[in-house]
Amino acid sequence: MSLRIETRFGRIRVERRIGYGRLYSISMTLLSLALAFLVVALILASLGLDPIKAFQVIFGVFMKPSLLLESIKQSIPICLAALGLSIAFKMNFWNIGAEGQIYMGMIASTGIVLLHAYYGFFHEWMVMPLMLLASFLLGGAWCLIPGALKARLGVNEILPTLMLNYVAILIVDFLVHGPWRDPKGYGFPLSIAFPEYTKLNIVLGEPAYTGLLLSILGAAAVFFLLEYTKPGFEIKVVGQSPAVARYAGIRVRSTILLGSFLAGGLAGIGGLSIVSGIIGRLRPGASPGYGYTAIIVAALAGLNPWVIVAVSIFFGGLITAGGALQMSMGIPKAAAQMIQAVIFLMILVGEFIKRYRIVVERRGASER
Amino acid sequence: MEKLVELRGIVKRFPGVVANDRVDFELRRGEVHALLGENGAGKTTLMNILYGLYKPDEGEIYVRGKRVELRSPRDAIRLGIGMVHQNFKLVESHTVLENIILGLREDGLRIDFEKHRRRIIELAERYGWRIDPMARVWQLSAGEKQQVELLKILYRGAEILILDEPTSVLTVQETRRLFEALRRMAREGKGIIFITHKLNEVMEVSDRVTVMRRGRVVITKETRETAKAELANYMIGRPIVFGQKKTSAQLGAVVLKVIGLKVLGDRGYPAVNGVSLEVRRGEILGIAGVSGNGQVELAEAIAGLRKPLSGRILLNGVDATGMDAGKMIELGVAYIPPEGNKLGVVPGFRVVDNLFLKAYRYPPYSNKFLLNWGKMLEKARELIEEFGIVTPSVLSRASALSGGNIQRLILARELSGIIGGIPRLIVAAYPTKGLDIGATEFVHDLLLRYKEMGSGIIFISEDLEELLLLSDRIAVISGGRIRGVLAREEADAEKIGLLMSEAVVQAG
Repeated sequence: MSLRIETRFGRIRVERRIGYGRLYSISMTLLSLALAFLVVALILASLGLDPIKAFQVIFGVFMKPSLLLESIKQSIPICLAALGLSIAFKMNFWNIGAEGQIYMGMIASTGIVLLHAYYGFFHEWMVMPLMLLASFLLGGAWCLIPGALKARLGVNEILPTLMLNYVAILIVDFLVHGPWRDPKGYGFPLSIAFPEYTKLNIVLGEPAYTGLLLSILGAAAVFFLLEYTKPGFEIKVVGQSPAVARYAGIRVRSTILLGSFLAGGLAGIGGLSIVSGIIGRLRPGASPGYGYTAIIVAALAGLNPWVIVAVSIFFGGLITAGGALQMSMGIPKAAAQMIQAVIFLMILVGEFIKRYRIVVERRGASER
Repeated sequence: MEKLVELRGIVKRFPGVVANDRVDFELRRGEVHALLGENGAGKTTLMNILYGLYKPDEGEIYVRGKRVELRSPRDAIRLGIGMVHQNFKLVESHTVLENIILGLREDGLRIDFEKHRRRIIELAERYGWRIDPMARVWQLSAGEKQQVELLKILYRGAEILILDEPTSVLTVQETRRLFEALRRMAREGKGIIFITHKLNEVMEVSDRVTVMRRGRVVITKETRETAKAELANYMIGRPIVFGQKKTSAQLGAVVLKVIGLKVLGDRGYPAVNGVSLEVRRGEILGIAGVSGNGQVELAEAIAGLRKPLSGRILLNGVDATGMDAGKMIELGVAYIPPEGNKLGVVPGFRVVDNLFLKAYRYPPYSNKFLLNWGKMLEKARELIEEFGIVTPSVLSRASALSGGNIQRLILARELSGIIGGIPRLIVAAYPTKGLDIGATEFVHDLLLRYKEMGSGIIFISEDLEELLLLSDRIAVISGGRIRGVLAREEADAEKIGLLMSEAVVQAG
């Protein structure tokens, strides 16, 4: 990165910082958060709203147990998808399709529930494990399509992963408008409500706890895969350089297939956590963009699986806060989303400033 | 004669090292001035200072007699200083013309491509280059890319030219052409600084030579008043041994037999065109030839990285034709790739990861699924010791290592036997290229040691001296064919040169 701007007064230059401390890093993040809230406060004030009260609502989300649980619940699909992305990104596989893989996971979970509810297949206790398996497989298969295209034909993955999102979303639309519509649902495009035993409430009867467990298990699995297993090592080598991987005798194609499958599979389980943890049925637009938020989360967390869990909860909190602001203060939905956007943006700028510094050279100093 | 550049008392410190220690240097109008020294002697640092990339901690810079301060390459370019770096800085997908005029501001909003095209062709012809300004840079050979780099500088009217190891990517013919162009530029009154560590080139092209060692200038001399051996002494501070290194190795069974091998090159035509050869246990077969004549493709075919078009590869009598790299590794083939810093290591990985880039998948370093880091770390520490890899720790990133240490790391990985015993066949492609004399000697000794232990070795090099030093037999390759195989006793520089040149006539 070398950016230079010449002005009449001198030269402005962007330089890479060589090493910085952890304390500096943390304080920069906190500073950018503070700045974000300052900007948000100004905007709210200009709308004639009381910023203090709004912040009480936002921070209240992380204080009040019921809202915190809601935040954690919202974080589960983000977290699982981001964990999958961390595998893909380590492999240098730019999967923009977590959203679609989430939708495929929802389809698979709902499919299992319907097979059980309509046709009486499987015992009650088998439904949940089967849902888990099916959502993993279908989400993985969805990501395997661009993976195979890349491995076999050298097709860049960015467009296929992105475009398959729309395909997946439309398949869900078709299903809930057509064959999977609840016969007693007054014609609304919804599936039947999931029975209790297909919901994510194994731990303490609370989806947030079960989901958190799922997130942590997912993080542990990804961490273990990448650090302690042969396929994980291979994924990282391929990500660094396919040429070196080939030279080392690594099967590059199979590695890409495996990595993309695992990435999609985790997002698929994220889909399961939506239908059986957050909504309790399948409906159009069931994911309001968790798969895209997951990209930001994975990037901000530096692809570290443990950090992903924490960052996801923060972002889940912002989503929850958006809803709370709407209800308690009548702040329009768009404004709530804008608050999130300002925070994302500030953190990104903060990350940039962490890594680079801006140097101003006064004119005159350089010439004699 | 006018002094174009004068550097006085330049000091540049980096954390832990003094890269330049009170260096004085001058460049006169109309001379080619060689800057000679081993890797790490401080040549490139000094030139980066002259080009405005680094700021000296102490010292003064004079250009055409006037004291200047260089804050960036832009200041240097304004003063007529141009630099061709070792790695080309061109936009590969753009045309030659676009690359040359990139950053020029004389035209304003509308670029007069036709005018530039004419001027570039004129300029190129002046130095005997035939270059199509509309060609895309990725289509060009290394030599042509270098011409584009030079044109870029000359087009801006530079008369102080810095070339950092310009011949390291060139073939012999391309080098000759470059030298002719440099002489011509010097006659026109430009000043050329030529960074190198090759003695032959100093003798061939330069008017004066400055030798650097460990950040200091040892001497500056008229080239015709010195000799290679004298310069070598200044450079390393000790005389070099010529001749052949003897070992007590016994020739054994045939390890590798290649029959009528044809291999496609990157551009889609056969780069290896019917090669047959044989290597025995305890034998070093040298492959001599100008680089780019099929050596790398041959090596890659044997290493399983390139599928042969036809022909056969037998390893210990087993047909290994068309097997992939993983299989070849399992059959005991070690491959030391050319440009080790590119293909041989993952710079972002730790030293231990790079050491086990191949061995990680074999016991005891892993079982069916799990890696055993304990075993790997323990062994990595031993290997660092054994192969003298200078690194703060096995957990440091490979990108922090110098070129010589990266080569040691690659050698440790390939040869130490962590992949399943001593390699049966070692394919070493230009293993000493770019290394300083100490590291080169280490590589030589290591190859001889493995020869004694019974490995068969294919040793690809451009350097006749080292080929004669190590090889039992020397095969001369050109145009993808073996033009002759000489036993060490009958081989000498003339005979090898003759085989190479005969082939060139045939090929051309």
